[in-house]
Amino acid sequence: MEQKKSQQSDEDIAALVQAGDVDFFGVLIHRYKEKMIRYARKFLSDNEDISDIIQEIFIKAYTNIQSFDINRKFSSWLYRIAHNELVNALKKRKKNTLPLFDLDTFLPYSIKDDSFSQDIDSQDTQKMINKCLDQLEPKYREPIILYYLEDLSYKEIAEVMRIPISTVGIRIKRAKEKMKFIFKKLGYRL
Amino acid sequence: MNNQQEKNFIAEKVLDKIKSGEVKMKSRAYFVLRAVLLILGILVLTFFLIYFISFIIFSLRASGALFLPKFGFSGMKILFNALPWLLILIAATLIISLEIFAKRFTFVYRRPIIYSLLVIIIIVAAGSFLIDKTGFHPNLFRKAQERRLPAIGIIYRDFGAPRIGNAHHGVIFEVIKSGFKIETPCGEELTIIISSKTHFPLKADIKKGDVVVVLGKRSDGAVQAIDIRKVNKGRFFRR
Repeated sequence: MEQKKSQQSDEDIAALVQAGDVDFFGVLIHRYKEKMIRYARKFLSDNEDISDIIQEIFIKAYTNIQSFDINRKFSSWLYRIAHNELVNALKKRKKNTLPLFDLDTFLPYSIKDDSFSQDIDSQDTQKMINKCLDQLEPKYREPIILYYLEDLSYKEIAEVMRIPISTVGIRIKRAKEKMKFIFKKLGYRL
Repeated sequence: MNNQQEKNFIAEKVLDKIKSGEVKMKSRAYFVLRAVLLILGILVLTFFLIYFISFIIFSLRASGALFLPKFGFSGMKILFNALPWLLILIAATLIISLEIFAKRFTFVYRRPIIYSLLVIIIIVAAGSFLIDKTGFHPNLFRKAQERRLPAIGIIYRDFGAPRIGNAHHGVIFEVIKSGFKIETPCGEELTIIISSKTHFPLKADIKKGDVVVVLGKRSDGAVQAIDIRKVNKGRFFRR
């Protein structure tokens, strides 16, 4: 039984929960709790707050699971719930949060010409991200976390943040430029 | 509490809440109903927006404002001042609301806002253009004038054909020695006085039934015409 559970995809398990097999929701919690904690830690520092928010994320996921389309990725759907919870938490704490409207979601951008990113990708990106992340605005911080630390694709990040795919690309590009600048200011060499 | 304990604690707490019934799953019907309401809301908003913008176009045409560019720069200036800015602001707010509603759909938010905004504007403009081609608003306007349109009749009477500064729009019902007499879309009669200073390119063609826009100062029921242009007859006039 346990082996069967571990072989099933998130979407299959979500379908079982939708069908009323509540126990399977525990499998989804175990698969994602670590990722959710890691994700929340990039925005909040208080452990108690994080614990409450993670609980709230999974509770929201359970109450709304019938709205999940099993033909889409469960991870993007769950990160979307987490994104909303974190935005609300940041608002409550009056911290720098995501803008309601941003000009970079208005116009299309070409994200093909990204020679700069190749330059940085070849470096120790993880090291740089960890050093500079706190100094980035949330609108740049979030796509960087989702792309480099959580391994989500541009399309999945667009689903989570509900922004155009080209905007994800441009924000990651700008975030890397900003990080490169911060990194140099801190005295590190690329 | 160490990290592993903390993670287990979170999982246990959530599962306890679910199993105790403290947290309940919302039914699929709830989400289907919500989606249906969202689609209905978008449709209602779209139809209302089409009605609203076609009403603005009608109002501009009935007041004669839409013909003012024929008078050149001075006409454009009057038009700018005569534009129903409040109605335009409401229309813009409705378009933004429609965009916000539409952004709940994946195929909308995945693309830059400019695309969905353009699609909304094209749909609304095409719908308004089609309504403008029918006698929909002129019929309602006429009914409102005859007090046969309850509820929204007041909107047509107050905003249907507003007076705009020194521009006067009407159908000629009598040609007199000093000029001619017109009836405005609201049924008001005005005497247009032509002098040597009046600019009137098609003076010789003037006849009863022609529709004109006149620029000039109004005093009582008479207008000292500065400039006159013949325009297409709309569906606003009873004569």
